Amino acid sequence: MKLVGKYVDKHGAGHVTLRPEDDEDMWHLYNLIQKGDSVRAPAIRRVQKTSTTGSIDSQRIRLNLTLAVTSVEFSSYSAAAEQSSSADPSGSNNSAALQIAGRVIVENPHVKLGAFHTLDIEANRDVRIEKSDGWDSIALSRVEEAIVPGRGAEVGAIVCGEGTAAFCLLSEHMTLVTHRISVPIPRKAASAGSSQHDKALTKFYSTLYDAFIRHIPFGNVGLKAIVFASPGWVRDSVYEYVMQEAGKRNDKVLQRALREKGMKIHISSPHVHSLVEVLKSPEISSQLKETKFAREGLALDKFHKMLATDELRAWYGPKHVALAADRGAIGTLLISDELFRASDPDTRKKYVALVEGVQQKGGDAVIFSSMHESGQQLNQLSGIAAILTFPLDIEVVEAEEKEEEQRKKREMEVDEKEEG
Amino acid sequence: MADYFIDISLVSAAVSRTASPVPKGKKGATTITKSAVKSGISTPAKGIAVDQRMLDLSALNLTEERSVINEEIPKASFAREKLLEEAKKVIEAEGKERKKEVSLVVIGHVDAGKSTLMGRMLYELGRLDEKTRLANERGSNKAGKSSFSWAWSLDGTVEERERGITMDIALQSMSTPHRQITILDAPGHKDFIPNMISGASQADCALLVVDAATGEFEAGFDRGGQTREHVLLVRSLGVSQVVVAVNKLDQVQWSKSRYDEICDFLRPFLVQSGFHPSKTKFVPVAAMQGVNLVTLNGEAAQELRQWYDGPTLADYLDQLEPPARDIYAPVRIPISNVFKGSSSGVAVSGRLCGGVVQVGERLRILPGDETAAVKMIEVKDESVPWAAAGMNVTLYLTSIDPVHLNIGNVLCPPTNLVPLATTFTARIIVFDIQIPITSGASIELFHHSRDVPATVSNLIATLDRASGNITKKKPRVLTKGTSAEIQITLRTQSLSGPSVARPIPLESFSVNKDMGRILLRRGGETIGAGIVLEIFG
Repeated sequence: MKLVGKYVDKHGAGHVTLRPEDDEDMWHLYNLIQKGDSVRAPAIRRVQKTSTTGSIDSQRIRLNLTLAVTSVEFSSYSAAAEQSSSADPSGSNNSAALQIAGRVIVENPHVKLGAFHTLDIEANRDVRIEKSDGWDSIALSRVEEAIVPGRGAEVGAIVCGEGTAAFCLLSEHMTLVTHRISVPIPRKAASAGSSQHDKALTKFYSTLYDAFIRHIPFGNVGLKAIVFASPGWVRDSVYEYVMQEAGKRNDKVLQRALREKGMKIHISSPHVHSLVEVLKSPEISSQLKETKFAREGLALDKFHKMLATDELRAWYGPKHVALAADRGAIGTLLISDELFRASDPDTRKKYVALVEGVQQKGGDAVIFSSMHESGQQLNQLSGIAAILTFPLDIEVVEAEEKEEEQRKKREMEVDEKEEG
Repeated sequence: MADYFIDISLVSAAVSRTASPVPKGKKGATTITKSAVKSGISTPAKGIAVDQRMLDLSALNLTEERSVINEEIPKASFAREKLLEEAKKVIEAEGKERKKEVSLVVIGHVDAGKSTLMGRMLYELGRLDEKTRLANERGSNKAGKSSFSWAWSLDGTVEERERGITMDIALQSMSTPHRQITILDAPGHKDFIPNMISGASQADCALLVVDAATGEFEAGFDRGGQTREHVLLVRSLGVSQVVVAVNKLDQVQWSKSRYDEICDFLRPFLVQSGFHPSKTKFVPVAAMQGVNLVTLNGEAAQELRQWYDGPTLADYLDQLEPPARDIYAPVRIPISNVFKGSSSGVAVSGRLCGGVVQVGERLRILPGDETAAVKMIEVKDESVPWAAAGMNVTLYLTSIDPVHLNIGNVLCPPTNLVPLATTFTARIIVFDIQIPITSGASIELFHHSRDVPATVSNLIATLDRASGNITKKKPRVLTKGTSAEIQITLRTQSLSGPSVARPIPLESFSVNKDMGRILLRRGGETIGAGIVLEIFG
């Protein structure tokens, strides 16, 4: 994403103009734009004109519209990636779509004030965002993150089992499952012999190879690693097969890419959610330490481990985490970006304050992207969790809170009595 | 005229030289024919002439009778009630006239010698012929893995043989004097536990193989070893009888103290896991030498004979009791394998979790909208007209496209469908885990041969293990050893896009025990086992 213009005063009021370039930028915009913001972007609108004689003239006009946002929708279709990834060497496939609906708030000659419109945000067209209640620190840091140049798909991963494979592209903020294959493989059986099994396996490998060529942008310089992950030994066989095929077809680029970036990693199940294990593995985490998704994976892992070793230092759930924050106990805050997308501005403000509070006290706040597996898992876990610096017993804390409440109540009553 | 007659005899070999002339369309012959008809001699010759014409025509492919390949679905031979009666009669006769049928899963830590033991056992019982044995021996010697020669009779695929490790369930059958046993040889490696679960869910009894060699038994039993996990798994899948074969005793010089040590170690663990002591048997063996598998005779068994004169492994297997079969339940067959049939059509195998299925019946495939007809039923390599609950069957299906059949699907009658579930509640027991289960924990759900990603969406309550009473509502986490009621939701397959989880066929435990058992795993570790309480859809 490119930052075209930015004007934000010290109170947070102002606007930012951005130019999205790829899928991930759409995801950033989705996280930036909230209900109530005003967004200005180019749009195509069908304009009807009724002449004095009563004939209706309909025209499509390209114009800039400014909307007061009522809803934002994001969708990414992995199927659409099929054609684009092979054609586009940069590895950016425009399969994500962002739609912003709202009422027009700036009148122009063609569109009346208050008319509804839905903007389809397009790549390489400027979008101006103005926040209704100011730019908070989370939103501004999101803009900062989004405009860092030179991103793209960073890891291509093939998660396979016997007969199944999922092709994933991991970038800073997104995991895209671009393709899945599943080839039925008969089990070895005494009656049928093992030939059916072997035949099906060969078919699986060749299907996988074809899909690999199409879905993994192995020639891309930005791609840091190509991961083959599976339980058992499927990854070895798959890697070998792809390598052999590349040799047979004399595909020098693929051969080099495999040699330089190929990695075989053991996971415990052939499902996509095992990607978390891939990111935890020492091979990957040492190489990709700096990337956001590796950090997220490590933070979540740390939380789980803390839950196992010292339950009193691992809290989750919005209420509990807020209580821990009140006591200044949070060492690392794990929070999902989904919480910031809350349609209710107060909820967002609450979480923004929470993150700012933790950061002020020297704590660490990791904002998870819910387009990653780790983010999905955090979402399941209520979207917010914290590793505390010192153990706190939830029940004790809750009892304290209750007492405090009762004390306040009593004081109020006393006050009322005194007044009365 | 004489010339004419010779000519005819050359044309038609069927006519002898002395016989009357045959009509061959030659002029002048007709008159003779007429007289011949009257005399009644030419009838066979006429027949031949017609055949000849048909023959010529058929070579031109002009005949209409081209056989349309239309697979006939055999008619069901019994009415439902009669079939049940028949099945009941046969099952009651089991043990009197017929051998009782049990299925046995072979479990244990990797390299405990499960496949070798079973390979040897098959040989001793005459199921493995000398020729195959020699071929295996030669093959394994050539590959430099002579110690795997017995295992090769079960480990059939190239990769298994290359690595010297079982990767998938091998299905075999053998027969002892009083039992007909289906053997499911499970892989011991922890990466293949999904396959092991698929096998164990088809079994009534278990044969636990442990390695007696110094350090090996301990390695298998410690944390991360499969002995412990397998025992818990099979118990949670409803297996209640176990025979423990203490293997490789030859490597510890047939030390009785080592054998006793292992037995004393395992006994309390098995009781704790839920196996009744009376249904737990121990037997010392050496699989490679074939000691105490079927007989205790022979030179190799000399040392063992000095302190052991109990039953052999085969004797114990001969005493296994098949559990009660519910033949009145609706048919449920979770598919554990799909392959091409030997002739035509598609074959599926699995175990009947209830009911009776017969040739000619129509079965619905769930999930999905397709039905298939049963063309043939095979039990233990023999074609049978029907099969009842508890049997491991191979069904040959027809009038179905094989793409609709996948491992993990469930066959059931079209009139009595298995409910499909994406959200359900379950009562679980949490195993020995390090990281506690939180609400929202992502897990893999195992049900028969299917495993799907799922989430623990709600921790409803923790329960008292003994009484089942609620001890705490809405617990924050579930730690090891607790019993709890939880809600499980299947996860969607993709991270983005439409969030629709594919439902799986599942039944509550109260309706069908076999269809209501689930296992939960996470990160290559079994974290819990349980039963389905209620399905929300």
